[in-house]
Amino acid sequence: MPDVPKMKKPDAKLVLLGDMNVGKTSLLHRYMERKFKDTISTVGGAFFLKQWGPHNISIWDTAGREQFHGLGSMYCRGAAAVILTYDVTNWQSLAELEERFLSLTDTANHDCIYALVGNKADLTDPKAHLCQDSDVLSEDRTDCEEARTEPQVLSACPTPPASPASLSGMLLHKQVAREDAVALYGRILRYKGLDEKGSLPADRMCFETSAKTGYNVDALFETLFDLVLPSILRKRHENQASPTVDLEDCREASGKRGKSSCC
Amino acid sequence: MEVDHHKDTEGQAEETSDPPTESNPPADTLATSLCLLGNHMFPDQVATNACSSVNRSEPATLQPSDASVEDSGLDEGPPPNPGTDSRTQDSECQTNLAAHPAERVTEDAAINNAQSDSGEFVVTMLAKAKLEEQGIGVKGRSSPLLETGIQESPSFTSHRDEDVTADSWRRHRKHVFVLSEAGKPIYSRYGSEEALSSTMGVMMALVSFVQSGDNIIRSVYSEENTVVFLQKGPLVLVCVSSSRQSEQQLREELLYVYYQIISMLTQASISRIFEHKKNYDLRRLLAGSEKILDGLLNLVDSDPSFLLAAVHCLPLAASLRDSLSQILQKAITPNLVFSILIAKNQLLTIVQEKTVIEDARLAPADVHLLLNLIGASSAFQAGEIWTPICLPLFNPDCYFYAYISYLDPPDCTVCLLLLSTDKEAFYSVAECKRKIEEAMLAQNSLSLIAKAQSYSVSQVGVSDLRHFMYKPFDVPDNYRQLTQFTSPEMEAPYSSEEEKMRLLDLYRYMHSRIHSTSRPLKLIYHVAERETLLAWVTSKFELYTCFSPLVTKTCAITAITKLLRWIKKEEDRLFIRYPPKYSTTPNPSKSSRSSRSDQQDTTDNGFLSLL
Repeated sequence: MPDVPKMKKPDAKLVLLGDMNVGKTSLLHRYMERKFKDTISTVGGAFFLKQWGPHNISIWDTAGREQFHGLGSMYCRGAAAVILTYDVTNWQSLAELEERFLSLTDTANHDCIYALVGNKADLTDPKAHLCQDSDVLSEDRTDCEEARTEPQVLSACPTPPASPASLSGMLLHKQVAREDAVALYGRILRYKGLDEKGSLPADRMCFETSAKTGYNVDALFETLFDLVLPSILRKRHENQASPTVDLEDCREASGKRGKSSCC
Repeated sequence: MEVDHHKDTEGQAEETSDPPTESNPPADTLATSLCLLGNHMFPDQVATNACSSVNRSEPATLQPSDASVEDSGLDEGPPPNPGTDSRTQDSECQTNLAAHPAERVTEDAAINNAQSDSGEFVVTMLAKAKLEEQGIGVKGRSSPLLETGIQESPSFTSHRDEDVTADSWRRHRKHVFVLSEAGKPIYSRYGSEEALSSTMGVMMALVSFVQSGDNIIRSVYSEENTVVFLQKGPLVLVCVSSSRQSEQQLREELLYVYYQIISMLTQASISRIFEHKKNYDLRRLLAGSEKILDGLLNLVDSDPSFLLAAVHCLPLAASLRDSLSQILQKAITPNLVFSILIAKNQLLTIVQEKTVIEDARLAPADVHLLLNLIGASSAFQAGEIWTPICLPLFNPDCYFYAYISYLDPPDCTVCLLLLSTDKEAFYSVAECKRKIEEAMLAQNSLSLIAKAQSYSVSQVGVSDLRHFMYKPFDVPDNYRQLTQFTSPEMEAPYSSEEEKMRLLDLYRYMHSRIHSTSRPLKLIYHVAERETLLAWVTSKFELYTCFSPLVTKTCAITAITKLLRWIKKEEDRLFIRYPPKYSTTPNPSKSSRSSRSDQQDTTDNGFLSLL
């Protein structure tokens, strides 16, 4: 077997799930690059590494399209946190979370943390629309200006969401109330067989965000990073106590024998 | 009764699934069906119009010298006579270049003849089909653009939201539609599929009508448009084009569209889906992929790689290309099968596993699909992508897993693509990238790649030569490997988009003549209005050249001799030679580089001996 030096494994894995067009890539982009820019429909999954203190946190931005549904469980394997994302202006996107995405998280860690995130809050909520949240506002405005004055840039990397509604200050109808998300969070805990008392409370784990204005985005990611830290430390401790079998190694070995080629 | 009436009317609709001699009865039937459908959709005027304006294409086929049947539908003019089709007057010769005197003809008088726009039968019919705004099977996603913030950019939005009843919609140069056998819309290049559902229904009706007669509809010619049908499994692809390309060329392009769909879903899963549910809405699975198809069609129109079915690699000093290949060759992991390095959307090098794919060659079309996937996706510029992808010509039924990452953020011009057969291999494949990154840093490869660029035709040193495309059938030392071609930048007078397209159209015309099924040619000397072109195909290569208009035939031949010598001299730089292989099986073989010395002596590349 050829020597394959292992890449330094990230300490924790965080996965973004949700229907297409809810803004998963935009959320992550807002957090990582401090910008809101055009994205296009994600293909497969995209892997990012985030340094959080001394820890490496890997973030998988997955495609929401049904086409890539089969890959979901692979991205979720061993996840320490899953961000289930919906669009506050689209009821169906919340329903899809329960119908399509929840079962994908079966491969996540048993102590995995779940967050429910309603994105595009700027479209329904004046508070999020006029977010003075961070350094981003002025920058964001310029972004929008650029987007509008440079259509050729857009056509190269098409997307979104200079939504006419939000530009004109008109607000869209909010289809998903916060209570709905809280209720879903309860059902998720039940699905996972978790005790509501022993788990993180719904009001901490249900977020409404706007990738466009930056509203609540940092809070979301940083809360989750802080919450996964204990599990990182526990895992590290366990590893020192009793070295465990690296599943990744086993899988590679069997993968080689079993399915060396599809053809 | 209806049928009898219309049988008198001769149809310009030509159906060519049978040998031409047998095509008459089906053509009649088809024309009848067109008229019937026309009558059905819009009772009086259009159908009558259409029927009265159709002509039989027969006279044209009688012309002994005419290889371009597509011009036969000149319906309003006088009966076609050999003189009006000036295309046939290009001097052509099978073997000897000097055998015929040059004849100066203006390019495509036929185009001018065909400008009146009455009797635009098929398109009229397709466009005027009653529009029903029904969101069949979209299940709450009928207006994702409004509901969700993730909207498409203005340019795309305008294409998708186009009013399909407007003239501007009908004037698009090339429409492409994909539908299911049940007539459900899957994709339209312009306008939304919902708005076009009844139009697509008409298309499906045409297909099934002809099918019911145990026949296959292949094309319909109207005065300005060629409608080409391609049926692949449960999918029907239709192209309506006013580009004057040949039917074969348009069909090839539809095939690329089909392959791109396969690359996302695999043939097996598409068949399975439609076996289960005939009226499945495939857009559910393709949602979000429209831009990849849009991008493909734009590339097909603007990049000659697709026409030539060959890949274009970035010219690079052989030593640099070799060192890059070696870097890729060393960074391997089990189940890795292809390592591909791309810069500025052109290939730098490809290294492949040798045992898994002993005899297989990566088809140019598969490479085109990969390049399009990368190009159509700006999302790839951030992070590392892991996605399933099928290479339809390699194996239409299985997925590879592609790792895609840019090596030079934030510029994002150099892209690494690693293909594995193992779905779970992301972390080990990502580790290969780190190794490649390190090695490239150590050798300063990125800055060397940044200096690489396409070349100018002036470097050839032939004064009248403006542009060329040269496709060797076998790059020396690259026997039966990837088909490649080389071509300089398009410079003045072909620097504007319009002029580029005009030159490409000329090349497409030359290509269609060379590859005409009814009358293939080996050599064409074509004097067009603003340039002179010479295309030449031998057993060793295919060559298209473009000269200034006043070049003489002798000059052109001398120029081509010089050009071929120059290419021979630059071969190492222009093409990927000695494609290295690696072995990711447990016992890496040492022979991966030996192929080079084995083939060192095959220096005869043939073309000089022909001169």
